[in-house]
Amino acid sequence: MAVETLAAPASAADIEKHASLWSDAWHRLLANRLAMVGLAVIVLLILVAIFGPWMTPYDFLSQDLNARNELPNAAHWLGTDELGRDVLARVIYGARTALIVSLIVTAIAVAIGVTLGAIAGYAGGPLDSAIMWLTDMTMSVPNLLLAVVINASLKPPLTAWMDRMYQATLNPIWRNSLIVDFVLVFGAMALVSWPAYCRLVRAQVLSVRSRNYVTAARALGLPTRVILMRYIVPNAIGPLIVAVSAGLGAAMVLESAFSFLGVGVNPPAPSWGNMISDGLRVWRTYPHLLAAPAAVLGIATIAFSFLGDGLNDALNPKGRK
Amino acid sequence: MLRYIATRILIWIPSVVVLLLAIYALAFYGAGDPIKLIFLRAPGDVAFDPVRIEAIREQAGLNQPFLVQFANYIWKVLHGNFGNSLLSGRPVWKTVAAAAPISFQIGLLAILLTAIVAIPLGVLAALKQNSRLDYLIVSVSLFLWAIPAYVAGPLLMVLLIAILPGADIPYGWGGIFDPRIVLPLLVLSFQPIALITRQTRAAVIEIMSEDFVRTARAKGVPELVVAFKHIMRPVLTPVVTQLGLIMITLVNGAIFVEYVFGLPGLGRLTVQAILHNDYPIILAVTLIGVTVAMATNLIVDLLYPILDPRAGQGGR
Amino acid sequence: MSEVDKGPKGLTRRGVFKAGAGVALGVSLFGFLDREAQAAEQVLKIAHGGFDMDWSPMRGGGRPFRWQSLWWASPMRFDSSGAIQPYVVTSWEPSADLTTWTFHLDPKAVFSDGSPITAADIKGSWELAAMPSSKHQRVNQVAANIVGYDEIVAGTAKEMPGLVAKDDKTLVVTLKAADPIFFMRIANHLIPIVKASEARDADGNEVLEWWSPEGGGVTSGPFKITSLDLDAGKIGFAPNENFFGEKPKLSGVEIQVVEDPVAATALLQKGEMQAHTELVTSTIIKDLGKEFSAGPQIPTGQHFWFNVNAAPLNDPKVRQALIMAVDREGLIKASFPDGPHKKTDMVLTAVPGIDDPKYVPFPYDPAAAKKALAESSYGGPERLPKLILAGTTTPAITAAAQFMIEQWRQNLGITAVELKPTIDNFNPADVHIFRDDAGTRVPDAATYLMSSIHSSSGIAKGKMNGYKNPEVDRLLEEAITKPADDPQRVALAQEAQRLFRDDYAFIPWYGETMSRWALPNVKAMDKNLDWQVVAPWAIEIE
Repeated sequence: MAVETLAAPASAADIEKHASLWSDAWHRLLANRLAMVGLAVIVLLILVAIFGPWMTPYDFLSQDLNARNELPNAAHWLGTDELGRDVLARVIYGARTALIVSLIVTAIAVAIGVTLGAIAGYAGGPLDSAIMWLTDMTMSVPNLLLAVVINASLKPPLTAWMDRMYQATLNPIWRNSLIVDFVLVFGAMALVSWPAYCRLVRAQVLSVRSRNYVTAARALGLPTRVILMRYIVPNAIGPLIVAVSAGLGAAMVLESAFSFLGVGVNPPAPSWGNMISDGLRVWRTYPHLLAAPAAVLGIATIAFSFLGDGLNDALNPKGRK
Repeated sequence: MLRYIATRILIWIPSVVVLLLAIYALAFYGAGDPIKLIFLRAPGDVAFDPVRIEAIREQAGLNQPFLVQFANYIWKVLHGNFGNSLLSGRPVWKTVAAAAPISFQIGLLAILLTAIVAIPLGVLAALKQNSRLDYLIVSVSLFLWAIPAYVAGPLLMVLLIAILPGADIPYGWGGIFDPRIVLPLLVLSFQPIALITRQTRAAVIEIMSEDFVRTARAKGVPELVVAFKHIMRPVLTPVVTQLGLIMITLVNGAIFVEYVFGLPGLGRLTVQAILHNDYPIILAVTLIGVTVAMATNLIVDLLYPILDPRAGQGGR
Repeated sequence: MSEVDKGPKGLTRRGVFKAGAGVALGVSLFGFLDREAQAAEQVLKIAHGGFDMDWSPMRGGGRPFRWQSLWWASPMRFDSSGAIQPYVVTSWEPSADLTTWTFHLDPKAVFSDGSPITAADIKGSWELAAMPSSKHQRVNQVAANIVGYDEIVAGTAKEMPGLVAKDDKTLVVTLKAADPIFFMRIANHLIPIVKASEARDADGNEVLEWWSPEGGGVTSGPFKITSLDLDAGKIGFAPNENFFGEKPKLSGVEIQVVEDPVAATALLQKGEMQAHTELVTSTIIKDLGKEFSAGPQIPTGQHFWFNVNAAPLNDPKVRQALIMAVDREGLIKASFPDGPHKKTDMVLTAVPGIDDPKYVPFPYDPAAAKKALAESSYGGPERLPKLILAGTTTPAITAAAQFMIEQWRQNLGITAVELKPTIDNFNPADVHIFRDDAGTRVPDAATYLMSSIHSSSGIAKGKMNGYKNPEVDRLLEEAITKPADDPQRVALAQEAQRLFRDDYAFIPWYGETMSRWALPNVKAMDKNLDWQVVAPWAIEIE
């Protein structure tokens, strides 16, 4: 009984402290000009990804062989590519690809990483060692190998299954060949991205685990799941937000790296990585074909880094740990 | 100490075997038979004769069951024989021994460059926190962090050719004293420099707010003296802990840098081997990667207590 | 950096550009400018597109194969006009039934170590190429008809009883079946003549890197290998002073790997290198001029083959629709707008017999295509299963494939087509359209079609998933028994090709030009249908 009365105020105060921390953080973020620039760019990117494809006068697939490799001009603001397709339309559609890939990959990776990291940090002992071992091993497998293997082994059955679903339902959603690419790219990329989150969460949990209120909650016999969800994960969320924001940018780069090596999203679906790797082959003759997607990818990732850095400063004033 | 290191290595060995098994399985079941790939990828008039291809696979020992092949492989590795490349027939150790020194030399140079450039920049940015210089350093490092190596490489090459029409194209490998190394080295160091600059900056800002530093500054001890006397050691701690991450950035960056600048190192070898599913090479390269990762982690763990005595007893 | 000193006035855009980059690159400037210009004029410097670790002449394919004639001699050779010239073998005669051929070697022919080239060396070279461990990609084109071939490729023998060295300079070949053009099949560098005693071990297998300078490096062609650093991608050749033919004009050849085509183009433009092994970029004509890629048309064609035995392409109406919906003028414009390759309408390219007035090219007719698709068992694009197009390995192929996909989308409403760059585990049901080349090393229409559309060919079996038209097979089997100069040989082949056309089983794309891939100041770089420099000894740099 006595213990209960002791614990309750502690957690209430804790929650209050949290609320003010969050609003403080938000104010600090608003004051950070670089972070706000980043945020603005990201919002713009999301709007473009959602509405852009309906706003361009050209379809990202239509070709015009009489207007190949045109430099930027009034009709085509970013010029045309080797098949006479509008580069702007492709960049805009590529934003959708990039955003979907980075959001979903990061979501999967965070889900795996947070779960495993929280378990490892909280449970400790052999379970912790096992999870950390798995993390180290995953980080040691070459990323590219995973992508190639997943592509080669899972793609044919998945494609066939999708087509069977289409034939059965005639629902065009099964026809979207992008989905197969996406699923495979998501899988491969999430498989290589989760260890970073896992390590981060584990470290946070370790540092929180020994705090008084957690010890008290344990002494009370609260279920592990409740302790994790109520006390530990919220404390780890600040650094996690920072990591996710950086991770979104990193996922975009990773997608383009895979496409660059030919194991990512397949043409004719536009992805920035694809466009960069095509542009690299002709950059001395048609620099705009490299510059446009590379610049957009650069701006997007820089925006995420700016925001991540601002969040870091806001959530970790003076490196609160 | 020695016992600690020995235990670490002993724990490490079974992990490596499991990892090799996993990669062997991925290569075996996943990416296609390397001998068939040679014939499938050759242009049209090639002789794709199943009987012959089976005979070739038999000679290469590829038609045995998976576990037999793997056991043979481990047995050979234990005897110091890494097998022959399935593509070229050359001994794997010969190929890897030629490529590895190049990657390691560039990697070490990149770490050195990173340390020389990033730590002073980070300290400088922190000391002048919120000044224009600070903003500049932070934005440039964010920029460098964001630009992929395969974009930075070609763009710098264009710049070089545009500025110096008479200059040689920085392509190929001529040792670390060859001027052609400058561009790849720069491109490879971009991300680690960005990472360490920001880490150092954050660490210095944190330390500066602590009481003993405030006291020292209040007493009028010159800024630089404060920086060196009180800050350097704690600052090195996060840098050292990031060594593992730097290694990973370097390894991933090497794949693209080596391709763009034509350096015959491990990164290029890995991509080549993966795309042709030449698994004796893939396994050997992974083994090297894992060893480097383990050695780095070991060094970090050994250095950590020295740099940060507080962490000495409890471990991480 | 001096621009900055000029103050605001001097800060032009270019100045700022220079200053910024100058800081970053300052350290390196001296070094770049310092590197000495190569003085040796007659050294041909070749850029090579990848780190090939295996330069054995016994592979019969891959990039290294393209420089085979530099250092290896062949029994006979084709000149650039497609006529056979003597080389190591100076004369030959078949038996009356065309199953036994006797070849006489040049008495002067010697290896680079001065030892004579004997009939046993030719026999040994052919046997070595057929051994499974050699992984030769095209040994069947030369040796498949020789008695004993099947045993050696299956790994159960190491010699072919059909090859007999009657004496040092006479080789007698016994064939399994009559072949009027057997002499043409050996007039190439697919299996060059190597010193068998050096190249084969006791089991008849290839000695590891026997061809390297350390391994002995005895060659038979006009140049010999003098330095080899595979890991750095550098290979050096010097003239073979014992070469039995004309004295080579070059004082040396250097092959250097430059993986990135853009960097290679820049090196060629600057004149630091003079030739390339195989440079395929969409801007090649623009970058390096027409002359760089010029060359003869060779009997190799690049086409899109249909998997005729798997759904949905087992329905002829679907095949018709796919073919007629593609504007093939546009196809070549999308892939090789400035050349060097030329659009083709048929399988055959650059062999006697391509002028067939009765051959009707596939029309471009979107309306008819749409109608054909509607008449097919799928009734239209909605019910059509997803199509997979494989083999899009290069940018030009990807561009062509994307053009076709767009045409099918516009003209037929087909949206589900997937590109697959490489063919990994070949499973015919997984792939519906295969991009692949068809070709031959003999200027002969019947052989060409035998190796592409006859049911026993690799393309019909593998890429078209067992295409078989008994009438085509019969015509071709009859054609190859006719003597080379019999007009019936060509006529029967043409008839077979017309029947194949009516099966609507492929989309013709282009006939290959064998580019010289050398700067205009390099003379005598002309190549033949065997992808080889015709007269490597005559190459010189002006």
